[in-house]
Amino acid sequence: MTRSDRTKNSKFVGRRTLLKRAAGAGAFALGAPYVITARAQETLIVNTQGGEYQELVERVVIRPFEKKFGVKLVHDATGTASQDYAKIRAARGAPGFDVAGLLTPPEVILGVKEGLLEKVTEREVPNLKHLWDKTWSVIPGGSGAPHTLQYAALIYNKEKIERPRSWADYWEPQKKYGDKIKGHVINYNPANLLSVYALIHAAQLGNGGVDNMEPAWARLKAQKPHVGVVVTGSAEAVPHFENGQVWISPYWSGRSGYYISRGLPFEMLIPQEGVIGLFDVACVPVGAKNKKLAYEFLNYRLDKDVQREWALAYFTSPTRPDLTDLPKEFAASQIVTKEQMAKTQFPDSDVIGANRRDWTLKWQEIMA
Amino acid sequence: MAGDHGLNGPRFARAPVPWLLVAAPMAVLLVFFALPNALLLSTSFLRSEAQQLTDELTLENYGFLFSRSLYIGAFIRTFAVGVAVGLFDVLLGYPLAYFLVRTKSRFKGLLIALALAPLLASVVVRTYGWYIILNRFGVANDLLLGLGLIEERIAFMPSTPAIVVGLAHALLPYTVLTIMGSLNGINPNLELAAMSLGASRTRTFFHVVLPLCLPGIAGGFILSFSIAISAYATPAILGGPATQVMATAIYGFMTQLLDWSIGAALAMILIVCSLLLLYAAARFGARQAAL
Repeated sequence: MTRSDRTKNSKFVGRRTLLKRAAGAGAFALGAPYVITARAQETLIVNTQGGEYQELVERVVIRPFEKKFGVKLVHDATGTASQDYAKIRAARGAPGFDVAGLLTPPEVILGVKEGLLEKVTEREVPNLKHLWDKTWSVIPGGSGAPHTLQYAALIYNKEKIERPRSWADYWEPQKKYGDKIKGHVINYNPANLLSVYALIHAAQLGNGGVDNMEPAWARLKAQKPHVGVVVTGSAEAVPHFENGQVWISPYWSGRSGYYISRGLPFEMLIPQEGVIGLFDVACVPVGAKNKKLAYEFLNYRLDKDVQREWALAYFTSPTRPDLTDLPKEFAASQIVTKEQMAKTQFPDSDVIGANRRDWTLKWQEIMA
Repeated sequence: MAGDHGLNGPRFARAPVPWLLVAAPMAVLLVFFALPNALLLSTSFLRSEAQQLTDELTLENYGFLFSRSLYIGAFIRTFAVGVAVGLFDVLLGYPLAYFLVRTKSRFKGLLIALALAPLLASVVVRTYGWYIILNRFGVANDLLLGLGLIEERIAFMPSTPAIVVGLAHALLPYTVLTIMGSLNGINPNLELAAMSLGASRTRTFFHVVLPLCLPGIAGGFILSFSIAISAYATPAILGGPATQVMATAIYGFMTQLLDWSIGAALAMILIVCSLLLLYAAARFGARQAAL
């Protein structure tokens, strides 16, 4: 049989052809998982802001990231910081998202202790070198990328009451506002870090602090008759601000700026005792499927331009000190200078984590 | 032989197919109910330090829960809400079920569909309906103020009664369905026979119909009760963070405080109580069936 006969005969496969095909099939078989992996790596699942902020985070961060890297980003907008960490713990580090985009220091510290968060260094995320030095006294070095800085401010309805000056005006409202304030004060469950921070201020008013919360409980008991609304989540408070029931509240500076800019008749202020700052941190769970792209995302969130745009859109402070060209009026209410940073308190989140259960129990016993 | 056809018959014991059919749901129950509960049980006996589980065995978690008035209160509130919801649903659901079963209306099918229609909406949506009605600036306050019945707005919620109202509304269709099933099984000729022997309608109802549908009433009560004591969304929305029931407390420990050992202990208490209740209900049902 000649070569041409062989090639014409479709049923006959030559030894070389067979070897070539076998080699090709083998290469495909060996390469297939990588091909599939490579395609899968084009998708990144990020857990981050939802609700009223979903559109904002998608416009400012997610879509530009997709465009820049030519990838698909799936936005998981569910859960609070503690709920997201509960998912990470329950799934032993593989919660189904590659980036836990909105953890707070207590969850980050716990995640490092439990070995459920991937180590993140400047090698993977070069922009980490631009952050405030103080960052690493708040969360462990290499635990994640703090991309947003805000604080627990005091807000009040300027159509109903005069401007407060001190945290005491929130904790002992009858002293400043009399009986008219009764039923118009809001209090939050310590499951929300906002409540914990407000309670720390209450303790400090009585010369206490995270190590001695007794003065806080005395103030909580005194405030209770004037409290009209009790909620857990920060977003749950908004309808009560809008319908005029709540006149004074501790509230996150970011959310405050957002709602005030949309017409809420409130004003935000930094009381004379100062405020407690909060970092929102993006972390990579140890079981994340697409770590390489997750690191790119963390680095992107710390990019100077992205930080600027996000800060202005979300009414929060950038986490790097080299953004000195923010609008003056905006910068005045943020933590952008060394002086502002020095005045901002960052209580030990390790102590907060260790005591939060007992504080919550105490709060529940008083508020029940 | 009748015994050959029963589950205890020798043919059933020898044939592999029935056992295979039973094995599938058993396996599902084992993997998705028994094992997770075993895990939960073991977690409830582990000590937790600063939100982290340790390997140390302890009874402290149960001791912690039973020594705090807050959690004893949540426990009592949970079962009080369950009983109240069960009673309300039986009292409201029985007349409705009776009407739907006995009506000769040509719209009977439509009426039954309307009675069960609330099940089409999510319980969260229905609960927020009550939120709109009951909050200080809600419809109920507006109405009472408008009618001059109150001078100041009343805080109907967050409160335990608000939780009862929301759950009773959400669970009513289940009770109606259960009681309807029982009423449908009663031969109407029994009522006619009682009345033909001189019994009044009322006497017939209390001495014939009601005793015969007691298992249905008990079933409706148990169903509403058991769903109510494990409900989360309605108590969370209408009760708020300061009016805790066991489900909201478990959620708080598991996902907010990240203290899984106490959360697991609380969950075990709820599960054990539910199982005891189901056992009692099964005994009651068996006794009624024997009668």
